[in-house]
Amino acid sequence: MSTVNTWTTTQHFWLVILGFCVAFVPRFLPLMLFTKREIPEWFNEWMKYVPVSLFTALVVKDIFIDSATYQVMFTQIPEMLASIIVIIVAYRTRSMALSVIIGLLGVFLLSLAIHV
Amino acid sequence: MNKRRPNPKQVPDPNEPLWRSTLRVAMPLNLSYVPIGLACGILLHAAGFNTLLTGLVSLLIFSGGAQFLIATMLTINSPLLSIVLMLFFLELRYALLSSSLSPYLKGQSNRFLFFFAISLNDENYAINYLKFATDKKWTGKEALMVEHYSLLFWAISNVVGSLIGSALKIDLGIVNFALTALFLYMIVMQIKNRLTLLICIVAGLLAAVCMMIVKSTLGLVISTIIASLIGFALEATLRKYLPESHWLWKLRSPGAKKSAVETSDGK
Repeated sequence: MSTVNTWTTTQHFWLVILGFCVAFVPRFLPLMLFTKREIPEWFNEWMKYVPVSLFTALVVKDIFIDSATYQVMFTQIPEMLASIIVIIVAYRTRSMALSVIIGLLGVFLLSLAIHV
Repeated sequence: MNKRRPNPKQVPDPNEPLWRSTLRVAMPLNLSYVPIGLACGILLHAAGFNTLLTGLVSLLIFSGGAQFLIATMLTINSPLLSIVLMLFFLELRYALLSSSLSPYLKGQSNRFLFFFAISLNDENYAINYLKFATDKKWTGKEALMVEHYSLLFWAISNVVGSLIGSALKIDLGIVNFALTALFLYMIVMQIKNRLTLLICIVAGLLAAVCMMIVKSTLGLVISTIIASLIGFALEATLRKYLPESHWLWKLRSPGAKKSAVETSDGK
């Protein structure tokens, strides 16, 4: 966070408006189309697998993919270990708040332990 | 503690007002939004966003991933077009989420769908999808209220984060993990049989490969589509030829007697 962004407030405003457009259209169009006409059965069966595939992809991106080079990396040891803790906590407690808070605490303590 | 489990002992008091019963469902999510929202507000402040715009972006875009991305890309001075394109690919996944909710929102007005779409988000999607699938009394109205509660908590946390932004220093990596933990939790909630677990592993490998090839978050969209199609094809094949296959057995979970994600029988 050392570099200070040089954008003006007006530019930030346009970024928000454009961001809203690209965020809104993918959310609204399918709702609008598929609530008016029948969705084929196969489409529903397919959609069942979308959330699990997407969330896994996002987790893999966060933990194993370098955001600058898009190469696979295995250097985020605290995150990898904390993820295992989160999975166990989520599986046993099924509580979202507990999973997130223990995960945050875990990654914080593990990175302290590893970097000291 | 857990609002997602269809537990007969937790049948709500019939006299409980609607705003309270939906708030009870949304509360675990609202509370987890507080630390993430605070962190996001702090990061947006560090990226040069003023408090008013931080509130606006939280209301209009309402996506933790997108807002974290804006903050990160602004600090490295990316051009406007490249940020918007990245946002587009990141937000494209909502097309899949809102398609999967649409069977439950038939007959709603366009105005309702407009507001529902604006406040749709990964996390409140997960809650509403589970509620729609397990609770016959769950309607669009309740779902929209859950969305609005989470939107309110998200926006307020962001604004507060922006206000205390200058006073507090925070580790970017640790903050980002809040989002990862949230996604991990949602994966665990989604896994209902061995086949889902297999698809989860396939999706993870595919995501890594696709992102290495495409070199952008577009790889996420591609791998999600491929992995979900594989799951769909495998399940259809198994149900047709091996309906007794152990791949389709429900997994038991210590947290719930019944599987947490039980699809409504026979649709």
